[in-house]
Amino acid sequence: MPSIAVNTPSPHKRRLRSNSALIDNPAVNNTPSKSSSPVKSKSARRRVNDSPSTNRANVNNNNNNNNNNNNNKLPVKKLLDSLLDKPIWNPTESGQISAVKEALHASTAQSMVVCREEEQKRIVEFCRQCLVEEMAGSLYICGCPGTGKSLSMENVKGCLDVWAKETGGQLPDVLTINCTSLSSTSEIFNKILEKSQPNKKVNGRSAPLKQLQHLYSQKQQSPDAKMMLVIADELDYLITKDRVVLHDLFMLTTLPFSKVILIGIANAIDLADRFLPKLQSLNCKPTVVSFRSYSLDQIIMILKQRLMALPFVVFQPQALELCARKVAAASGDMRKALGICRGAIEILETELREDTCTSTLTSMVRVDHMAIALSKAYKSPIVDTIQSLPQHQQIVLCSAVKHFRKGKKDTTIGELNKFYIDVCKSTLIPPVGITELSCMCRVLGDQGILKLGQSRDDKLRRVTLQIDEADIIFALQGIRFFRNCLQ
Amino acid sequence: MADTTPTKRLRQTPLKSPPNTPIPLTPQTLASPRRSLRFISSPAHSIPPANTPVNPKPTRSKSAVTLNNNNNKKLYGNDSIKDDDDDVIYTFSPISPDRTETKKKRKSKAENTVDRVNARVSETKIKIKANTKTKRRVYYKKVSYDGGEFSIGDDVYVKRREDDSIEDEPEIEECRVCFKVGRGVMIECDDCLGGFHLRCLKPPLRAVPDGDWICGYCEGRKLGKDVKLPEAPEGKKVRRTAKEKLLSSDLWAVRIESLWKETDGSFWFRGRWYVIPEETAAGRQPHNLKRELYRTNDFADNEMETVLRHCYVMSPNEYAKAENEGDDVFLCEYEYDVNWHSFKRIAEIDNDEDEDEDATHDDDWSGDEEDSDAELSDDMEYEEEEDRYTAARGSTPAREAAANSRKGFTFGLQKIGTKRIPEHVRSHKQTELEKAKATLLLATLPKSLPCRNKEMEEITAFIKGAICDDQCLGRCLYIHGVPGTGKTMSVLAVMRSLWSEVDAGIVKPYSFVEINGLKLAAPENIYRVIYEALTGHRVSWKKALNLLNDKFSNGAISSKDDDRPCILLIDELDLLVTRNQSVLYNILDWPTKPNSKLIVIGIANTMDLPEKLLPRISSRMGIQRLCFAPYNYLQLQEIIGCRLKGIDAFEKQAIEFASRKVAAVSGDARRALEICRRAAELADYRVKSSTSLPKTGKSLVGMSEVEAAIQEMFQAPHIQVMKSCSKLSKIFLAAMVHELYKTGMSETTFEKLAQTVSCLCTNNGITFPGWDTLLRIGCKLGESRILLCESGASHRLQKLQLNFPSDDVSFALKDSKELPWLTKYM
Repeated sequence: MPSIAVNTPSPHKRRLRSNSALIDNPAVNNTPSKSSSPVKSKSARRRVNDSPSTNRANVNNNNNNNNNNNNNKLPVKKLLDSLLDKPIWNPTESGQISAVKEALHASTAQSMVVCREEEQKRIVEFCRQCLVEEMAGSLYICGCPGTGKSLSMENVKGCLDVWAKETGGQLPDVLTINCTSLSSTSEIFNKILEKSQPNKKVNGRSAPLKQLQHLYSQKQQSPDAKMMLVIADELDYLITKDRVVLHDLFMLTTLPFSKVILIGIANAIDLADRFLPKLQSLNCKPTVVSFRSYSLDQIIMILKQRLMALPFVVFQPQALELCARKVAAASGDMRKALGICRGAIEILETELREDTCTSTLTSMVRVDHMAIALSKAYKSPIVDTIQSLPQHQQIVLCSAVKHFRKGKKDTTIGELNKFYIDVCKSTLIPPVGITELSCMCRVLGDQGILKLGQSRDDKLRRVTLQIDEADIIFALQGIRFFRNCLQ
Repeated sequence: MADTTPTKRLRQTPLKSPPNTPIPLTPQTLASPRRSLRFISSPAHSIPPANTPVNPKPTRSKSAVTLNNNNNKKLYGNDSIKDDDDDVIYTFSPISPDRTETKKKRKSKAENTVDRVNARVSETKIKIKANTKTKRRVYYKKVSYDGGEFSIGDDVYVKRREDDSIEDEPEIEECRVCFKVGRGVMIECDDCLGGFHLRCLKPPLRAVPDGDWICGYCEGRKLGKDVKLPEAPEGKKVRRTAKEKLLSSDLWAVRIESLWKETDGSFWFRGRWYVIPEETAAGRQPHNLKRELYRTNDFADNEMETVLRHCYVMSPNEYAKAENEGDDVFLCEYEYDVNWHSFKRIAEIDNDEDEDEDATHDDDWSGDEEDSDAELSDDMEYEEEEDRYTAARGSTPAREAAANSRKGFTFGLQKIGTKRIPEHVRSHKQTELEKAKATLLLATLPKSLPCRNKEMEEITAFIKGAICDDQCLGRCLYIHGVPGTGKTMSVLAVMRSLWSEVDAGIVKPYSFVEINGLKLAAPENIYRVIYEALTGHRVSWKKALNLLNDKFSNGAISSKDDDRPCILLIDELDLLVTRNQSVLYNILDWPTKPNSKLIVIGIANTMDLPEKLLPRISSRMGIQRLCFAPYNYLQLQEIIGCRLKGIDAFEKQAIEFASRKVAAVSGDARRALEICRRAAELADYRVKSSTSLPKTGKSLVGMSEVEAAIQEMFQAPHIQVMKSCSKLSKIFLAAMVHELYKTGMSETTFEKLAQTVSCLCTNNGITFPGWDTLLRIGCKLGESRILLCESGASHRLQKLQLNFPSDDVSFALKDSKELPWLTKYM
C-alpha cells in the first residue's frame, strides 16, 4: 500500500497519512476480496493514490503498479482461502490467547524457517563441502536485525545432522558462541580450545591462542579428530582497537591442518572487507552470505506459517497485510512485525474487556486494531512530548527556534536566556531566573530535545537543537499562545 | 508467598495458649497480612491441647512475681529448662553497670517490680502507666523466663508443634557410633554434621585435626559406595539435637525483636524468622554451608511459651572465629525477602538503614517497609500509637547510642551528640499545620497515588499479560518521563498490588529484582547483582554472566523452584549504556530466548533511548513504551490535595497557585510538595511567633506564604545576596552600574570606580571610606562572584566587571531602605 510509506520528513504528515490509510483501508480491502479481475483491484489502488498525500514513494509505486499487482494479490488470496476452512477464534478463551501469543513470540522456534531456504542452502552446502574435503573454511553472514540469521543457524545444524545420518559423513563438533556474552574478547579462544580438547585441562602456561595455532599447524596424530563448526554470533563485538582477535580468529582457518569451520554473524555488510584486509591478500577471504531484509510477501508468509499451526483464525488477512506492508517498508525486522501483531491482539483484548457484548464475528483482529498497534510502534513521540511540556520549557524551545532561524546552529545558555526573556516580555509572562533556565535546559537535554555541551560555567554551555525545527513549530502551532511568537 | 512455602504453611503458629487464656487481640490486629494468614490458618490444624509439660497458668499477675536467685548462674541446663512456669523474673535495664546490685534492690521491693520496670525502661511511661496500668502492654529489654534470660536481639529456638517436648532435647549430641554421650572429645563431620568420639573412630584419632574433617561414612558415600551407618542399639531411642531438628525444619529459629507482657500477664515476643536454605525459593544450593540460615523480613508475635532455648546465629566473621562454641551456632549472611524471593546482604542492609533498625522491627512505624501499606490502614487510636511509639523506642537495642535511651548514663564519647528530647515534644498534640508539614515530606509514603491510574493499569496489564499465561513469555517494557513524575513509584505500587494478588493465588508467583543503575559501580556489575538477588550467592561478574547465560538462554534449571518467572526492574537504564552496549544487549536478549521467563522493565528519563541504541538492541527491546508526561496543574493540585486529605491547613487558592506555578516551569511533583511544605513552615513560624496575640480561629496557609516559598525557590540566589549585603557594598555595586551606564563599557578599573564612589559619597553626605576599605570590599564581592575581578597585584589598575546583568543589580538595590538615594544613579 503506497500510502503507508514511512520515509517522511515530519511526524505530523506521517501521522496524518497513517490516519488516512486507516480510513481508506477497509474500502480497499473490501473490494478486491473476491474479485479476481485485475481491473477492479487496480481501481481500488487508484483510489488510494488519488488521496491528497502524494510523494516520491507514491510515484514509484505508481510506476510499478502493474508489475506488483499480481504479486500483491497472491498472499491475500491465499490467506483468504485459509480463512474459509478454519473457525474464527474466540478471544475470550484464555487458552487460545496464550496459544496465539506463544506462536507469535520471537523465541518460539519454528520447525522450518520459511523464506530463507536459499541462504540456508548456501550455508549447508558450504559446511558440507568443508566437511567432505576436511578443509577449514570461513563464512560470514550479514544482515539487518530481525532477519532470521541466528534462527537459521539452528536449522543449519539440524540439516547437517540429517546429512550426516544419510551419508554416514562425520558430524562436526558444534560450538555456538554469542560474542556479547564473552567477558573479554580473547576468551573465545579459550572456548574453542576447551571444545576441541575436552579431556585435556587447559594449562595456563601458554596462551590458548598459541596452543590452538600450535595444534592446527602440525599434523594431527589421531586421524579421527573431528572437524569443528564454530558459530560466532554478533561477531563485531570482537573488534578491538588493533583488530587482533578478529584477525587471529579468521587466521585459524588458514592454518595448514586447521579443522575449524568458522561462521561469523553480524549486521555490517562489509565487516570482512573493512577489518580484515590482510585476509584478502592471503586469498582466504570468507564467503559472504547476505540476509536481506524481509519483503512484504515474506513477512506475510512467515506470519501465516506461524499461525498455521493454530486450529483457528485470529487475524483478518487485510490486517496482516497492513502490518507486513508497513514493517517491510520501514525495516523488514521480523521481531517488530511479531511485536506489532501481539500488540494488536492486546488492543483487541482490552476492547473486549471494556465492551462485552460483541458478536464473535467482530472478535477477529481487524485492520483498525492493527493500525493502532502500528501507530504505537512507529509514531514518533516528539510532537506529543513537546505538547505536554510545561509552558516555560515550551517558551525556551520557541525562543531557541526563533534564534536558530537566523541561520545559527548553536548558542549558549546565556544567550538563550536573553531570547527567552524577550519572548517572555512580549507575552507578559514573568521570566524565571538563569539558574532555573539552565535547570530546564538540562531537563530538556535529558529528554533528548536539546543537546548541551560541556562547560565549567553554566552560562557558557553550548545548546543545540536535537530535533527538527519543523517538529517544534508544528507542535507549538497547536497552542494558541505560541502562534504569534512564531510568526 | 502462598506456594513457595508449603512447609511453612504447615507450621502452625507456635502460639501456645492454654485453653483458658484468651488470646490477646492486639497481636492479631498488628499482624501483617502474611502473619495474619498464619494466625488464621493455625486453627485449621488444631492440635489436641495440653499433653504438654506446661501447666495452664492459674494467675500470672503482679503478685506472682518472685525472685529466682540462681538464674544467672545457669542459663540453660538440662534440668533448668523444664521448670515451673510461675517463676517469672523481670530483668531489665540492659545497661545497668552492676547487675547484682539491682537484683538486691529488687529483692527488697519485689512487690512493685513492675512499676520499677517502667521507671527504668522509659521514664515517660510512668505517667501513662499510673492510670492505665492494667490495660497497657509493658515492654522489656530482657526477660527471665523458665530459667533462661532472653533479651532483645537474641536468637532462640522456637517450638513448631505443641508436642515438641523439651525434655528429650539433649544438650550434648550423642556419638554416631556408640550412641552415648560420654565424656570423650567429640569431633564434628563437616559434611553430615554428625558427632563422633575421637576414640570411637576407626582408626581412632588422637587429637582434633586442623581444617575440614569428613567422617568415613560421608567419604564412602561420596565415592559412590553404599554406606551403612551403625544402628542404634535395641530399645534406645535416637535423640536428635535441636540443631538437627532445626535443619530438618522440625524446629524454627527466631530472632527476638521486642518483648512485652500482655495485659493478661502472659509474655510475648515479636520475632523475626530465620529460614533454612531448603525453605527458600531457590532451595539448597551448592554454595550453602550446612549451618547456613537466612534471616527473613517476616515477623510474628508469639508467646514466650514457645521458646526452647538460645541458639547463636552469627555473621560470617563471627562464625569463622567461633570454632568450638558448641552445637547451636549458625551462620547467616543474607536476608531473604519472603515477598520477592530475593536475597540481600545483611551487611549492606545494616549500612543502608542503621537508623531505621527500629522501624523495621516495629512495622507500624515504618514508612518504608515494603508491606507497610497494608498496615498503614491500621485504625489505631492516635493516643495508643503515641504510647506504643515511646515504648518501642525505649526498648530498642539499636537506639542505644541514640537519644534518650541512656537515661543519663554516659559511656565515654557516646554522650557526645546525644540529646534528650524534651517531653512536651512527644505529648504535644500536633497542630494542623504541623501535620500538614509532616505529610508533605517527600519521605512520607502517600496513602494512594492519584493521577497515574492509566499508566499503572497499563503496567499491571503488561505484567499480568506476561505472567498469567501458563508459559511465561519474556518481554520488555520501556518507561520514560522527566524526573518527579512518579515512574518508579508507580511500578513499585503495581508490584505491591500484584503481590497481594499472588498471595490470594490469582497470579502466579514470581520473583522481583529491583536495580538502580546509579547504584552500580560499573555497568557490568549488574550481572553480579542480578545473580546475587536470584540465588543469594556472590560471584564475580564474569562468572555471574556465564551463569545467567546458562539460566536464561540455555534454560538450565538449577533447582526445583527455578521455573518461576522473574521480573527485572532497572531504574536509570541509560546508565547501563557502555561503549559497545554489550550489557544492554545481553539483558535485552535474554527475554527473546525460549524458556527464559524474564520480564525486563527499564526506566529512564530519555525519550529516545531505544533509538539511540544500536539497531540490534532496539530490535530486541520490542515496541512496548510507556510515557510519563509532566504533571499539569490540575494533577498537581490533586496530588497535594490527596496528601492533605483530612488536614485543614491550606487555602484552596494557595494550593492552586503553587501547583500552577510549578506546572508552568517543570511539572515536578517533588517540587510542588516542597513548596507547599515550605509555605506550611512559614505559616507555622508566623503562628508560633505571634503567640502573645490571642489566636484567631484557624491559621491557614495563604497566598502570601506560598508566594514567599516560591520566591525562595525560584528566585536566583544572587539577588538575595545583593539585597542583604552591607551598605558600602551596595554603594560599590551602584557605582559599578553607574559607571556602566556612563561609559557603556562593561569593564572598568578600580581607580575609576573609586572616583565614582567618592563622588557618590560626597554628593550624599557620606564619608568616603578610604581606598583600603574599598579594595577589601571589592575583593569580597569578587570572592562571592558578584564581581569578576582580575587576579594579580595591580590593585589600582585591577579590572572589574559585573557578573550579573545590570538589571538584576538595580532590581536588587532599588528598594533598599537605608540608602534610598541609590535609585537615582541607576
